[in-house]
Formats: sequence, C-alpha cells, structure tokens
Amino acid sequence: MEFDGEFELEGVPPEKAWIVLSDPIAVRNSLKGCRYITPMDDEFSFDEYEPDEGAETLPEADPEVVADRAFREGERYAALMQIGVGSVKPRFETTVTIDERDDESLEMIASGGGDASSSSFSMTSGMRIHDLEGGEGARIEWWTEADITGRIAQLGSRVIKPVADKIVTNFFGSIEQQMTDVDAETDESVTDRLRNML
Amino acid sequence: MSSDHENSADTEYQHAEDGGPQPEKHCGHGRGGMGEEVRRKEDQRFITGRGNYVDDVKKPGMLHCELVRSPHAHARIEEIDGSRAMDMDGVVAVLTAEDLLEYDLATMPTLMDDTQDVLVNDKVKFQSQEVAAVIAEDRYVAKDGAEKVDVTYDVLDPVVDADDALEDDAPLIREDIEDKEDNHIFDWETGDEEATAQAFEEADVTVEEEMFYQRLHPAPIETCGAVGDYDPGKDKLTVHMTSQAPHIHRTLFAQVSGIPEHKIRIVSPDVGGGFGNKVPIYPGYVVAAAASYVLEQPVKWVEERSENIQTTGFARDYDMTGEIAATEDGEILAVRTDVLANHGAYNAAAQPSKFPAGFFNIFTGSYDIDAAYASLSAAYTNTAPGGIAYRCSFRVTEAVYLIERMVKVLADELEVDPTEIRRKNFIQPEQFPYESPTGWNYDSGDYESALDLALEMAEYEEYREEQQRRIENDADKLLGIGISSFTEVVGAGPGKTCDIAGVEMFDSAEIRIHPTGKATVRVGVQTQGQGHETTFAQIVAEELGMDVDDIVVEHGDTDTDPYGLGTYGSRSTPVAGAATAVASRKVRDKAKTIAANELEADEGDIEWDRESGEFHVAGAPDRSITITEIAAGAYMNNPAGEEPGLEAVNYYDPPEMTYPFGSYVVVVEVDRETGEVEFEKFVAVDDCGNRINPMVIEGQIHGGLAQGIGTAMMEHVTYDDNGNVTGGDFMNYLLPTAMEIPEFETGHTVTPSPHHPIGAKGVGESPTVGSPPAIVNAVVDAMAHAGVSHVEMPMTPDVVWEALDEAGLAQQPAANLEFELESGEAADD
Repeated sequence: MEFDGEFELEGVPPEKAWIVLSDPIAVRNSLKGCRYITPMDDEFSFDEYEPDEGAETLPEADPEVVADRAFREGERYAALMQIGVGSVKPRFETTVTIDERDDESLEMIASGGGDASSSSFSMTSGMRIHDLEGGEGARIEWWTEADITGRIAQLGSRVIKPVADKIVTNFFGSIEQQMTDVDAETDESVTDRLRNML
Repeated sequence: MSSDHENSADTEYQHAEDGGPQPEKHCGHGRGGMGEEVRRKEDQRFITGRGNYVDDVKKPGMLHCELVRSPHAHARIEEIDGSRAMDMDGVVAVLTAEDLLEYDLATMPTLMDDTQDVLVNDKVKFQSQEVAAVIAEDRYVAKDGAEKVDVTYDVLDPVVDADDALEDDAPLIREDIEDKEDNHIFDWETGDEEATAQAFEEADVTVEEEMFYQRLHPAPIETCGAVGDYDPGKDKLTVHMTSQAPHIHRTLFAQVSGIPEHKIRIVSPDVGGGFGNKVPIYPGYVVAAAASYVLEQPVKWVEERSENIQTTGFARDYDMTGEIAATEDGEILAVRTDVLANHGAYNAAAQPSKFPAGFFNIFTGSYDIDAAYASLSAAYTNTAPGGIAYRCSFRVTEAVYLIERMVKVLADELEVDPTEIRRKNFIQPEQFPYESPTGWNYDSGDYESALDLALEMAEYEEYREEQQRRIENDADKLLGIGISSFTEVVGAGPGKTCDIAGVEMFDSAEIRIHPTGKATVRVGVQTQGQGHETTFAQIVAEELGMDVDDIVVEHGDTDTDPYGLGTYGSRSTPVAGAATAVASRKVRDKAKTIAANELEADEGDIEWDRESGEFHVAGAPDRSITITEIAAGAYMNNPAGEEPGLEAVNYYDPPEMTYPFGSYVVVVEVDRETGEVEFEKFVAVDDCGNRINPMVIEGQIHGGLAQGIGTAMMEHVTYDDNGNVTGGDFMNYLLPTAMEIPEFETGHTVTPSPHHPIGAKGVGESPTVGSPPAIVNAVVDAMAHAGVSHVEMPMTPDVVWEALDEAGLAQQPAANLEFELESGEAADD
C-alpha cells in the first residue's frame, strides 16, 4: 500500500521544521497512539521499557538535550504504537531504522516494521522539507510504502487510507503547533545553535 | 409475493427398465402426504427462539477454546511462546502442534486424501491458519489469552493466484509432501479429446470465451463450532458440532483419534445453514475434542464470522476457457473446456465422487452433443483450503455456468435467438435414459416444456421487442434478457461413483410405529434448514396413510440414528427420501399381515388404498382397518408366529444419480450512466420430479435464487498480493439483503425420476446452480448488440460500467457533463 502527501507550514522556516521533526519526543507527542520513540539496543524490551512521560520539548527543553536525542542516521529506534482501525486496535511493537538523513537537503528516509498480535507491517518512509514557494514557510513532502498483513490489512485500503490520512493530518496539525511555539518563543540563537549541533 | 405456475401437460410417469423400485402415483389426500403444502414442523421452535444450536450447548465445567491464527499467508514458525497467556487468570492451557503430536493429532486427513495441519507445526500456508489454541474458563479470557500468545514468524513470499503458483519460480508451498517440487495438485480429463478436436476442425463456426467463476464463501448464518465432551467415567467422547454429515464425521474421528467408533458420539443439533461449508472437518473441531479428552472437561469452540469466511471451505475458484463447435445453423457438434482450479493450501475439497473434479463431467448440460472434452489442472496456493460444493453438487455449478454461458456466446456469434439454439440442441424426452458423451446417464427430462413455460411467464417476446425499441431510441437504460436451461446432477450417490473414506454413499431411514399408532422416523441425513422434519414425515404419511402430525422425524445423533452420509449435494430426498419410502413400504407389507389377522382374511386378499390410507379386503372396501388399529394389533394382538412390533429399516444405495432441471429467464435493466443492474423480471421454472411439499420447494428456490444473485452480482473472496484476505468479513464480502432481491415468479413442470421410489429428484441447489448464468447472460444480452460477449462475476456497477465503456455504450454522468461544459467555457474565456 502506498501513501504520500504534502503539508505546508506557513511562516515556519524549513530549518525550524527540520529541528522539530528531528526530535523523537516532539514526533511522539504529535503522533496519536504513539507511546514512545526511543533508541534501542539488542536488549531492549517493549514490555519493560517505561518512557519519560514528562520529557520537555522546545521551547522549554534544553537545546543540548534536544540535540543529543535527535534522530541519527543508522540508529535503530523502538516505537510503541496503538492504532484503531474500525473495530481493530492493535498495539504495534515497531522497530525503525533511520536509513538516510541529510541536514543540507533536509531529507530523511526511515524503514522498519511492527508486529501486533493479529497484524504486522513493514514500511519505508521518506520526508523532505522544501522552501514554501511564493511565501515564507516550509513545504513538507512525505511518502510511505507499506506492506501490511493480518487483520488490519484485511480491512482493505478503503478503510485503512482514511485512518492513515487522519493520523497524518493530525500529526502535521500538532507538529505545526509545536513549530509555531518554537518559532514564537525560541530565541533565534537557540535554533541556530541547535542547527549547528545537529 | 410470487406465483407458481404448473405445466400439467407433462405428468406422465416413466419407468425404469431394470426392475428397480418404481415410482408410484401420488396426490394430496388431506393427511399431509405427498404434494401438500404442510407448514414446516421445525418452524415453531425456530420462530419462537427455541432452536438449539451448538453455541446453545452448555455443560457444567465447560471450558472455552480460542484459536491463535497467523497474520501471514506464508511463514515459518520459529517460536511459539504461550507464557504470557498462561500467566492470565483463567487460562487453563495453551496448546500447540507439539502438544497434539503426542496424540498423533497435529495433522488430520482431508476428504481428498491430503493432510492438513490441525495446529501448524512448521510452516503457515494461508492467512489466519491455526497455530495455537488457548483454553480458558471464560470465552473472553480465552480471546484475550490468544492475543498474548507470542509467535515469531520468518515471513516467506506468498503466492495467491493459481496461475502464478504454477510458474517455475513460484515459492513452494507444500514442503511437507515428500518429493514435492511444485504447487501442482492434479490433472484430470474426461471425454474424447481426439473426436472433439476433429469436430472443431470440421465445424462451420467455433466460439471461445474465458470466464472466471470467482471464489465464493457459503457464509452460513451460523458459523462453525463444536463442544467436545469427554466422559472419563464411560470412556466416551461426545462432540456436539455443526456437522452436515455426523455419521461419517464419527467414522473419521475414530480413524484419526484411535478412539473406537462406538465410544464416539457426534451430535449435530439445529444447524443454521450449511451449504457445503459444514461438510469438511476443521481444526477447531479437532482441538475442542482433543482438549476435552486431555483435560477431561467439556471444551467449546465457536468461530467468529471472519474466521468462518477466511479459513473454512470456500467454493468455486475455477478459471475456465469454454469452446463450442457448431454448424452454421446452430447445431452444436462439440464442446471443449480447459480449467485451472485454485484449491488453496491443501486439497480439502469436500466432494465424495471418485472424480477429482466431482460432477464437472456433465458440462454438456441439457444438450445432445456428440463430442466433448474437458481438461483440468489444480494448484496449491497460499489461500484457505476449499473447493467445497456450495449449495451445489460437486462442481456442477461451474459446469452449468460454462455451458449455459457458451450457448449464449454461440447464439450471439450466429446472431440467432438463444432460445432457438437451445431448442435445436436439447436432449429430447424420448432420448431418456440418455448417456452423455462423458458417460453419464441422465434419468429423465423434458427441457423444452420447462423453457416454454418460463418464456411464457416472462413475457419473453414482449421484452425482446422492448429491448429493440430501447436500442433504436438510444435509451439511457438498456434491457437484457438472459436464459439458463440447466440440468443438474444430484443425489450422490451410487456406491459405484461416490464414497467418503471408502464408505459408499447410501442413506438410511428407520421407522418405528408405536402401539398407539404414532411414529418415530430416524434418518441418516441431517437438516440445516431444508425442512426434513416435515418432508420426510410427509413421505411416511403418504406411504402409510398416516396423518403427518402423528410422525416425528429425528436426525443428527449418531447414537440413535441409522448410519447415513449426510445432507449436501441435494442428496437427502434422492437418497434418504428413497430410503424413507422403501422403509415405509416394508412397514406396509408387515401391516398387511397384521391386517389379515385383524380382518380374518387371507393376507393375499389385503389391499392398501392410497386414497383413504386404509387396508381392506379385496372387493370389500368396508372391511377396512387403519394403520393406528394395525399398530395396536402388532403389539397387543400379534398373529401367532409373527415377530411383534411394527418397524422397518432401509439402507438405500441409489442405482443412479437424479437429474433435476429447469429454465430461468431473467430480465435486467442496465444503467448506461452508473453501470447498475436492476432486475425487471425473474422467472424460475424448476422440475424436480414429483414434489413432496410445494411450499418447502418454493422456499428452497427463493433462498437459492438469492444466493445466485449474490454470486452473480456481489460476492467474491479476494486476496491482495501479500496473501491478505481482503474479502474476509461481511464489510468486504457482500451478501445480498432484501434490498437487492427482486420479486421471483416460480413455476414448475413435473418429470419424475424413473428410478426413484417416489419419483423425486431433489431441488435444493437448482436455483444457485441455474441462476448465475441466466443473470450474466441477461447483462451480456443488454450489451450484445455492441459486441459485448462476456462480463465477469461479480457484476458490480464498476465492472458493468467498464464493459459499457469498452463497447462505447457508457454515458458520462450528467453532473460531469455539466462540469466539462463549464470548464470548457472557462477555457474559452
């Protein structure tokens, strides 16, 4: 199944969008049904891991902490997602690897997969941030190729696509709010510093 | 709602020449015998909510079973960890293949000599296959527990399409079969290939069409389920299960489990529809029985709707190419077909004939064709196993679809009316018994009379004129008229052609007349809604002059009922109905002895009068005695030297199959803008030989037509490339509702079966078998003038619209036309 789309953030410079989208905590906070996204090693246990629910994001967070936890190329992350599709609400234990990450072109590609008791998926997703043509802001282009099996897949794209669209729309709506906050309340020097750290 | 037309011109009896049981003349006598519209005895309990289905069975200490199913279509199991489930309160056991291996129950034989996993030991072969079972004290705990069984899979590439499965580079599905290197199951052929090829070479006209009979699911309202109930005190295993064939299931349980057959009791209580879906044995039954045996507690397993559609026996999935060779004036010289069958991950088609493609043999249909040849290949795929006979006599549905579609294709090629082609080629009444080119012996038929009646009821000529008018006026809605003049083969069957696990397909009836003249009748078949408790009582009422209310019919309990092979393939009336009639006649013979004693006459002078239902002395009708008085005599005044009591048993092996037939005429309107199809008229004329209960028959016809409409218009079990079932629940597998079902007009002719004791043939499947080609023929007919020769089922509006579009008949939606106009104007600006 393939999904793709674009999202425009007026007034948010691409670099700031990049900073927010590079922060696993900010992404977690905007992604409905996501309990955590955290770097994982071979010992990682989905059952035992307890996320830090109170982790701060920009503008409150310490820029050094944000820079330190930002997505890194080649790193593997664990994510716990619960998605409701119709009557099915699987809890996906997901592993994601950042395959590519380019701070210059503002492009990121990740791949991974997840298992729930009755469904599983594997996917490759990409994102690239452009200048908003004809105005101040950023245009975010994204795409996903997913292989879905199990109960969720049986519902068919007719049911899955609207759910995926809703998750993505909510995500960008929420992320836009975070970016606006960052834009309004964060000193230019902080984002510049962060940008350099990244 | 509907009317029933009778063609009384044809009620002649034909008689078998081999001296077999002869049909006798019947008519209503007011006692609820043959031909009377007796209200169904079973409806009282069904309508008042007092039915007793498997899920109603509750036993003290009963546990519940939930199956863990694979999300993948093709995957190796690396590990199954049930510890999280076992930690839950109320979970009693988590069973895997390893546990079942101890009892040699990890696999089970299918009805086609294949071996299917009960719980997967090594490799999952279709999505939702059973990999583990959770047994818990509560149904909900069992369900939650199943979610907590952790299975690690190594996912493999699946192949879901039969064509792809036979490619050289296809993933090998059945590594468990020794030396298996491909996904090919079998090749089968019938007929004379050479003679057929020659006829094709010499013919004036040949036509060819490819058609796919899509995968369907019978989708009975009640899903499958079982309660295993092992009694360690008696060392006896009782299994209450949704079974269309309890006796043969008992034999198979005994063979597989090693438990002696007399220590197994299968009870098939009320069953909410079977349609062939409840003929096979499914892993859930085995797990419930095995778990009960091991845990010494009753265990219930009842599947959900999606489990039923995704894992239990599907039907059809035949990819067919049909060809006809004919003279230029429409005489059919030969028919040829090549079929690719998708059997799923196991060869588990539940069909008892000695032929791998069942009764596909009769693909020459109602026509007298000299040469015929069929070749067929079957493939394993990563889809649920099946190929069962969904309201169908073992692939006859596919055969009838093929020939009835091809006759229409030929008619269109020759530009003649399809009725003309049919009349020219029908087997004529005097040709019966008729041997088909593939060697099948049709018992009786009068195809033209049925067609004539159907055409008259459908106002055929008027609709043909209307159709032409609409074409000339470029009307928004086209009219199509479709015909199907099908012949079925039912009543499996003679032991020479049909068996299950070696047990020949006879059936049985046992009649006990009690001292007060009431009767208990037990039959070897089992009802799933067909009305046996009424119709079998009517046969006895007719044959013994009893009142139908004085007879109770029992079935579905292997401890008490005589052995039989079950109800499917329209075999109950042809086989168990015959046994019931023969057993009744045995009782009648004994009754004559008692009557002679009571009337103080010579036994040879005792006559039985069908009209009054009484026994009397020849020449002295007033010296008569009823069966009630005879019953009293049998127990209270038994003649010296005679065995007391009044009962009889018959096991009936039919000499031949029966061949019911009919003509259906369907008129549709096809909307050129939306592709929607609306039924204008739906006429079904059936001939099932002598009729036991016309009301029950009409009910059967209505239900079957609804399923035929679902087949033609809506239903399809679909898969995506990853092997996900995307048509596996009622959101995606569309069944017709009252909204999609038109008014039916039913009619009948009566051509008795010469070899059946009461001349009956069976009718349950005729409408499901006969209606899809009539419906497709109608939709094609609406577009035939523009060159459309075929439309694939299910004919959803998008499929029909595409056919319209390709033929240049589609109209753009009016709204879009306006839009184009506006944007055109905008461009001009």
